[in-house]
Amino acid sequence: MNLAPSFRGAGEACEPGIRPAIPSRWIPDSQASPGFRNDGEVVIRIRRAGVVAAEFCNTSGDAEVAAVFERSFYLRADDLFVCVGEPAIGNGPLTLLADMRVPMLGLRPGQPARIAGNRIDIGAVTFTCEGWERWHPPAWPRAAAPAVLARVRDDVMRRAAMDAPAEGFGRVIADAGAPRDAFARIARRRLTRLQTWLSMRSVHEPSQTSPVRDVVGTGHGLTPSGDDALIGALALLDALGKRSAHANLARAVDLVPPGLTSPLSHCFLRVAAAGHVGESLHAAVSSIVRGDADAAIAAIGEIGHSSGWDMMAGIVTALDAVTSRNQPVYPSIEVPQSERF
Amino acid sequence: MSVIVNEVRGATYFDSIVLMRISRQVAAMAGVEEAGLMLGTPANKDILRDAGILGPDGEAAEAGDLILALRAKDTAAAATAMAVAKRLLDAPRESIASSGLSVTRTIRNAVREMPDANLALISVPGHFAVAEARKALALGLHVMIFSDNVPLAEEAAVKREAQARGLLVMGPDCGTAIIGGAPLAFANVVPRGDVGVIGASGTGIQEVTCLIARGGRGISHAIGTGGRDLRAEVGAITTLMAIDMLDADPATRDVVLISKPPEAAVARRVLARVAQSRKPFTICFLGAADLALPANARAAATLRTAADASIGRTHARAPASPPHAARGKLVRGLFAGGTFCSEAQIVFAQAGLAAASNVPVPGARALAGARDVHVMLDLGDDEFTRGRPHPMIEPAVRDRPIAAALADPAVGVILLDVVLGFGAHHDPAGQLVGVLGKRDSRPLIIASVTGTDADPQPRSAQVQTLVDAGVIVADSNAEAAELAVTAVGGAP
Repeated sequence: MNLAPSFRGAGEACEPGIRPAIPSRWIPDSQASPGFRNDGEVVIRIRRAGVVAAEFCNTSGDAEVAAVFERSFYLRADDLFVCVGEPAIGNGPLTLLADMRVPMLGLRPGQPARIAGNRIDIGAVTFTCEGWERWHPPAWPRAAAPAVLARVRDDVMRRAAMDAPAEGFGRVIADAGAPRDAFARIARRRLTRLQTWLSMRSVHEPSQTSPVRDVVGTGHGLTPSGDDALIGALALLDALGKRSAHANLARAVDLVPPGLTSPLSHCFLRVAAAGHVGESLHAAVSSIVRGDADAAIAAIGEIGHSSGWDMMAGIVTALDAVTSRNQPVYPSIEVPQSERF
Repeated sequence: MSVIVNEVRGATYFDSIVLMRISRQVAAMAGVEEAGLMLGTPANKDILRDAGILGPDGEAAEAGDLILALRAKDTAAAATAMAVAKRLLDAPRESIASSGLSVTRTIRNAVREMPDANLALISVPGHFAVAEARKALALGLHVMIFSDNVPLAEEAAVKREAQARGLLVMGPDCGTAIIGGAPLAFANVVPRGDVGVIGASGTGIQEVTCLIARGGRGISHAIGTGGRDLRAEVGAITTLMAIDMLDADPATRDVVLISKPPEAAVARRVLARVAQSRKPFTICFLGAADLALPANARAAATLRTAADASIGRTHARAPASPPHAARGKLVRGLFAGGTFCSEAQIVFAQAGLAAASNVPVPGARALAGARDVHVMLDLGDDEFTRGRPHPMIEPAVRDRPIAAALADPAVGVILLDVVLGFGAHHDPAGQLVGVLGKRDSRPLIIASVTGTDADPQPRSAQVQTLVDAGVIVADSNAEAAELAVTAVGGAP
């Protein structure tokens, strides 16, 4: 067998600068999957749907493709965003999971979508909800003793100093020294105010001036670090059964006007305030309240580049606020009088 | 006088890690004093204003807008930095738009569009990969399966089916191949030549082909087999077919075979086939001992010795002044390539040093519970890459373990691999240097750079970047591991 001729087209040496394709695109065709149409259109079955995403599919209306990433894309209908992604991205309240390769769908931002009759039509691609599973997170576990929670909190802080990305809130809460830049300085100040506000839960009512508004929209990323921190804090308060604190924070989040953060992140915040969290965050918070720092950190590590540690910053902030540790996370940082609420 | 420039993009969505990477790259450019890339929320505008990089355009941005803000020492530096930033932001869309590639939704349609094609490269979720491979085989195509998570029984079945058709199935989990000079997936630009390579390991193929290229020879074909081809259940179907092909290929004079140690019966079958060839073979079963080789084959303990043997080079490279770890006596190997991690463990074992790893080779220790030993981590392993890109694609995945090693006073040497080529990060050395930073007291940093000067990231420039940052750059991963052994007082 002669190799070179048998690989027709492999031919001559690849010129520098000519990139070979690394295939990452796929879509099932009619041969592989009975039920797929032969008219050039593609039907993809949604396997699992989060609570809010399922409601979205059960309505009728128009939407549009808001963003397309390698493993997922976002549909937007007014102020609601739903993520449609490959199973590897994990379950979430706003997530629809399907076996597909997103780049192969040829979707583009701005493309119109139609939702009706438990299906989503986007150009030649149809998503159906037949046989899907609804995803709900399990109940929160019983919380460990306060001493255990304090130890877990300290373990997490130690790991944050090493593992949290430099750009996010995770490092901000862990760095012991002076803030290294404008972001760290402002982020510390605002997280400290949030913690103090949370610890005053019995006397403080949410209002238009709550420090939640200062934290929202702060930081890097598609979902700013401050928004992720608030989502983490909400989950922790819910898991610990701190109903009053959770309700106050949720109400303060609900009062955040749309212009303070991106529409996508604002949607995530509102859903979190309604008590819905994604699979990895649920696993992280469950591990915290059970007293397992390693498992919590492992779960957090599965949430984006910095979002997981941003959420952890919120978890720690809320934990400090509602346990006996009522000192601010950063006792060395003075909150200027002008910024006190 | 400093110049502030802002660019605002409306309703633009990027992955967070992409934004942070671009922000870091722009901030590190010559003449740039400060840079930031953030959503235009009021809170972020406070931060950009506080940093002194928010201009009128940025002030006018809305919460959903993306602000690219920078301050540079002069107009020229600002313009250059902004141009680079825009190019990085636009890169993904431009590359798709300018590629000239058409998108088809089925293999059958792809063959219609390109009737001369004879190889399908398949990268789909693992449980669909074999179905797609079968379609390709039915159309007369050789197959390279990039996907992993394919059940072993399905791998064996599709390889038997291909064998019956006289077609080759490379993979599953085949990350690298070079066929007729065309690099496929993660591969390097190497000259055509007369050395054929068969490998179960992607980074192993990359290392050997690059060392051969840098040694002055070229590659006829490099055929990936997938990591399980030499398991008894599969029976080396692809390896044996690859040997047949290279044996019959007039352009191939020498053959290198790279794999983890196969099962005994499979090894006998493979070596029996090697014995039938008139061509010289170099067998590198990493970690294997006491191989009974035929007369036309020689054993190589490491990838470096395999490459050397195939090009007739038999010298040991030793640095003029071996380095010594000034602080700590433990080595922390942080590898993007799994085979490099294995090779380093083998070098340590040969030197009589105990090492622990998350993917231990025979004789090495498992990581769990290991204390006060040298540690070799494969950061491309699933436990580190779940939900994240592979460190060869996005080196930032390695940032945290590197930071932890830098901060650990017990660590005297950090051992690293830098892998270049298609599919790899565009500037892994630059990214690595940024993480290492400028510290007065840090462990020795020893690295190898797998690649060639013809790669999209020219190797010599990548090496220079590392050398300028005080990194000791070895010629190969094996040599880097040997230097690490020496540095902590061992004898390689």
